Amino acid sequence: MPVILLEGMLLIALISIAVSIIFERKLLACTVIYCAFSFLAMLLYIVVGAADVAFTEAVIGTISTVYFVIAIKSINRRCK
Amino acid sequence: MTEILDKLEFFLADRGIYMLTFVLLAIGIYGMVVCSNYMKKLMCMNILQVSIIFFFLTFGQKEGGTLPVALAEVLQAEEYINPVPHALMLTAIVVSLGVTGVGLALLMKIRDIYGTIEEDEITGKGGGK
Amino acid sequence: MMDRKAKMKTAGLVLVILLTIAGGLKVGSFLPVIGAHETPANIYLSNYYIENAIQHTHAANIVTAVLADYRGFDTLFETCVLFLSGVGTLMVLFSKAKVKRRLPKFRKTESHSETGEMISEFTQRGSYSSGILDASFRIIMPIVMIYAIYVLFHGELSLGGGFQAGALLACAYLMDRISPSFESRMGEIKEENMLIVAGLGTFLYAFTGILPMFFGGNFLEYAKLPFCALVHGGVAGLHAAGILMIEIGVTVCVMAVIMTILEVVLERTDFDDD
Repeated sequence: MPVILLEGMLLIALISIAVSIIFERKLLACTVIYCAFSFLAMLLYIVVGAADVAFTEAVIGTISTVYFVIAIKSINRRCK
Repeated sequence: MTEILDKLEFFLADRGIYMLTFVLLAIGIYGMVVCSNYMKKLMCMNILQVSIIFFFLTFGQKEGGTLPVALAEVLQAEEYINPVPHALMLTAIVVSLGVTGVGLALLMKIRDIYGTIEEDEITGKGGGK
Repeated sequence: MMDRKAKMKTAGLVLVILLTIAGGLKVGSFLPVIGAHETPANIYLSNYYIENAIQHTHAANIVTAVLADYRGFDTLFETCVLFLSGVGTLMVLFSKAKVKRRLPKFRKTESHSETGEMISEFTQRGSYSSGILDASFRIIMPIVMIYAIYVLFHGELSLGGGFQAGALLACAYLMDRISPSFESRMGEIKEENMLIVAGLGTFLYAFTGILPMFFGGNFLEYAKLPFCALVHGGVAGLHAAGILMIEIGVTVCVMAVIMTILEVVLERTDFDDD
């Protein structure tokens, strides 16, 4: 079942993206990486067979990225 | 070569996928503990949510199953992926957006009062303006 | 070179990952094998849903049937949670004063040309206007809205449903709101009014549940809805009508809540670059 292999690869990609969110220092870069994270999560849901959930995640990921970008304008953009 | 692939697939189906999902969950929790920036904590919470949603979705998978949209000629339940986890997780994703919104509102309120959203600076100041 | 804090962060991360891998190898032995057909999740309830969804509800998309019909009570309170998150966002930031409008504002200026004609043109103080963005959003936005309506009304038969349609409609408003447009096409909507609309959507859902109770049914019992003359298909047609009603409620609620949060956060953000 090659679907399982695809799931494993996507999960490893998700893990590496999550690690890079933790170590990134610029908040705007964090937000862009988070957008990529939600896109890969959408691909993962499609592979699992949950097309409805993937559809929702695609739209919601976009909207929450926009929320983060708007909120970033009001705070200090670097973090420790 | 195909033997190794078969073994890898069996390992992944047996416990590998669960293991990777737990790693993602642990990274989310670790990020929420370690990152001192509140916005990064919020992003790590979203990572945690994705891992939990995926954990639920794995229970619905069936080998050789199609999407849970009924076709006229196929009526056996064996042919379709289990739709119950999908219906549960669909609402969870939308609620996670609401959680993100409330979190951002609280974050901006904290920034108003303390002038910063770094956790160690806020605790160092001892509260108040 | 990494400083000490980053080193400790890395060491902790490696430790956590190793611990989780070890734990996952152990835990995986009592979770079902992925893809197996005879797991507890796959043999009891879901087979009934899959085999009877079309006869009961005329909804080919089984996820929608489960979400809106078999488990409609759950979805009602999920919608309430979403509405409450909108209320919470507004309440947390309500005391904060609105900052002055940061999106570019266009003013009409008038001047006389050499020949004496009056020239009126729109000028803008900010420098981040983009004609390409403006034009492309102008094309994309109606398509997104039509797609949202399609997803709403076709949600029973194909992928989609109330949540996705609401989020897509909100996406169209969001594009209009954040793009530096020549003139605002939809206009601003005050967040308090938006919240009232969200409450109306949630009320439509609850009303669909209460309506059968006047005709001798239970809460959310679609078979007792008084639309027998309007729909054909008997009981299953009534179920489809009930599903459509609550999907409309969910759509309105999701759309309004997303727009509320957007407006609240956008109106009260202090921009630091001007």
